[in-house]
Amino acid sequence: MKSEVLSRFDMPSLPLIALILFVVVFIGYTWWTLKPSRKSYFEDASKLPFEDDKSKN
Amino acid sequence: MSSTHSQNSSLTRRLETFSYDDQIVRWFVIATVIWGAVALLLGTTIAFQLAYWKVNGLGDLPWITFGRLRPLHTNAAIFAFCGNAIFAGIYYSTQRLLKTRLFSDALSRIHFWGWQLIIVAAALTLPFGFTQGKEYAELEWPIDIAIAGIWVVFAINFFGTLKVRRERHIYVAIWFYIATIITVAVLHIFNSLSLPVDFLKSYSVYAGVQDALVQWWYGHNAVAFFLTTPFLGLMYYFVPKAANRPVYSYRLSIIHFWSLVFIYIWAGPHHLLYTSLPEWAQTVGMVFSVSLWAPSWGGMINGLLTLRGVWNKVRTDPVLKLMATAVTFYGMSTFEGPLLSIKSVNAIAHYTDWIPGHVHAGTIGWNYMLTAGVLYFLVTKLWRTEIYSKKLAETQFWLATIGLVLYITSMWAAAFTQSAMWRAIDETGKLVYPNFIETVVKIVPMYWVRAFGGTFVFISFIIMMYNLYMTAKKGSVVDGEKLEAYALDESSIEKNAKPHRKLEGLTLVFSVLSLLAILVGSMIELIPTIMSYNYVIQKAEVKPYTPLEILGRDIYVREGCYTCHSQTIRPMAHEVLRYGKPSEAFEFIYDHPFQWGSKRTGPDLHRVGGKYPDMWHYRHMWDPREVVQGSIMPRYKWLFNSKINYNTLPKKLEVMATFGVPYSPEELQNGVALAEAQAKTITEGLVKSGAPSDVGNKEIVALIAYLQRLGTDYGRIK
Ligand code: HEC
Repeated sequence: MKSEVLSRFDMPSLPLIALILFVVVFIGYTWWTLKPSRKSYFEDASKLPFEDDKSKN
Repeated sequence: MSSTHSQNSSLTRRLETFSYDDQIVRWFVIATVIWGAVALLLGTTIAFQLAYWKVNGLGDLPWITFGRLRPLHTNAAIFAFCGNAIFAGIYYSTQRLLKTRLFSDALSRIHFWGWQLIIVAAALTLPFGFTQGKEYAELEWPIDIAIAGIWVVFAINFFGTLKVRRERHIYVAIWFYIATIITVAVLHIFNSLSLPVDFLKSYSVYAGVQDALVQWWYGHNAVAFFLTTPFLGLMYYFVPKAANRPVYSYRLSIIHFWSLVFIYIWAGPHHLLYTSLPEWAQTVGMVFSVSLWAPSWGGMINGLLTLRGVWNKVRTDPVLKLMATAVTFYGMSTFEGPLLSIKSVNAIAHYTDWIPGHVHAGTIGWNYMLTAGVLYFLVTKLWRTEIYSKKLAETQFWLATIGLVLYITSMWAAAFTQSAMWRAIDETGKLVYPNFIETVVKIVPMYWVRAFGGTFVFISFIIMMYNLYMTAKKGSVVDGEKLEAYALDESSIEKNAKPHRKLEGLTLVFSVLSLLAILVGSMIELIPTIMSYNYVIQKAEVKPYTPLEILGRDIYVREGCYTCHSQTIRPMAHEVLRYGKPSEAFEFIYDHPFQWGSKRTGPDLHRVGGKYPDMWHYRHMWDPREVVQGSIMPRYKWLFNSKINYNTLPKKLEVMATFGVPYSPEELQNGVALAEAQAKTITEGLVKSGAPSDVGNKEIVALIAYLQRLGTDYGRIK
């Protein structure tokens, strides 16, 4: 009975599509983040929380 | 950043004066503390109710039974306590990270009062049984609309602040806030879609499997985007602030962000493993849930390594200590979560008390501890003073930790006991413990331990309350301090900036990207399942509920029976032996909303129909201990006094018919008469077995009608 119902909307390809999609996106933003040219920018960005102390004159 | 800009173009830049709106942060801080105490008091109360049933029924008052207080506890903890904490932290850090005052003082105040009113509305409706019957989304439709409205106010205020900022670059904490705001709106709106019957009653537009999937897509992402991403944003701001050193790896924080946002949205189906949810959706849910482990630990490691070099301070500074503990528990629960999503582990753990244990490792360990750290930080900053007593904070820390450990370990012990007993089958193929109650009485001692653990956590919170109050009292409030920063205009972009660095500043693009990330997952998972409604094989024998059963079902929803009972049988030998045929998707197509539940404090009820005579249920609901020695189920004596409300029945049937439930014109016209006739039949039987003759128009009859119908169309137990 169960398989009878499930056979109608079993979509084995969907998990695969989802996974491929994720891998592509993951490689994309990881590459974007790890590019050496961005190093100095990230170093600056990580100091942002401490700027409010400086902006007080 | 601004210093580099000013070197580039200091001549052309305009210096502006502004001040922070710290009053609104103080208000949210106070609200956090008050609602936190309420949420924990409720939690402790319901913990004692499970240990000792009499705590349910002081004078048999309906509004303080477990089934009604548990939703109030979860809503208070998530939306009142964590909600206010998030708003306080977001408003404090955003102003400072963006060097600007919040966009609109008026919107901030509407946001504040609107949210508090929503909480009050929740407290005034849930105990009285006004509920949509979906976990963590119980609030009825007018309150849902108010939530959506206030959320929009928050969003406008937040994005407006981004617009008027004086810092081009957007720190990673703000990314987490953006994702939170967008995703929570999407989740809340889609899960709450319902059609009203009257002002305080509505039915979910989804039914059965569809409703289950939408609900757990929402439910899991309430954890993800209400209890995780905003708190991670707070972690990425407040931990560096408190430690006075930048986050260990900013790059890791970005990978952490995108991975979480992208993966979390898929994870919902791990709540529905082995149910009649389509197999592929279960697989997606499991795979993505297990993958969540990696980014979560990346985040934990990033948080903990930020503290490298200040470990000696962690020992003495309560703020750092609470935060370090919070991050550790974040690591623990994000390890446990993926583990529980593995199908074979889930088979053992699902429906047991392991799940509340897991949830509280997250909410107490991560959310409460982090909030406590942030609150000490905020109160000392906003009232410009030192912590009143580090010693009290230390006591709070230990009480909370010990309480939580008691909670977690007692629930593990309870879960292993339950699970082993539920599953035990002897050599002849029979259940070793066929009576569910045997498995209940075994774990009652663990419920006591949990209740005392919860009490410790509650007391720790009261200590913090006092400590914060005394801190604020000795401090003082200074508002409107003038600050200066350069305006953000053309001149503030570095001349040689690369395009992607400009992109950083484009909050719109960024928001769209995060929206896409969550929509892609949601669509792929939800749409096929929603659509598959049309393909579920309709079985002729599965019929809509009769009018009286609809009324009985509404009582079931109102009393929150789903907080202790599941209604879906998994295809496993021991479940089939205990409960009957595995549940099938087509059996639930008229269930608006679904009532599958998530925990088996009591037995599954999907096929309870016909298992006992009417009189058994009658006596059981009057006092479960009359028929089942040692039961911890509350009694429901008011069902024997309050009359069945037939007034809204025609409208209820009409709404169901709108959803496509095939009621005949006769049923729609004469619903009340049909219901009364069915009630009369049941009453005659009850009276013959000794019930008083005036029982006929009482709610208990409708509830019995519903219970006796459950699961019988397709899989009646023989
Ligand atoms: C605090 C948790 C709790 C709540 C809330 C609760 N129950 Fe129960 N229920 C139990 C426990 C434990 C048992 C097993 C012991 C017993 O039979 O009393 C049980 C057993 C039952 C049984 C017998 C099932 C069987 O197969 O033997 C029925 C029927 C039932 N409950 C109906 C309800 C209904 C209807 C509501 C809501 C009005 C409800 N319960 C609310 C805990 C709860």
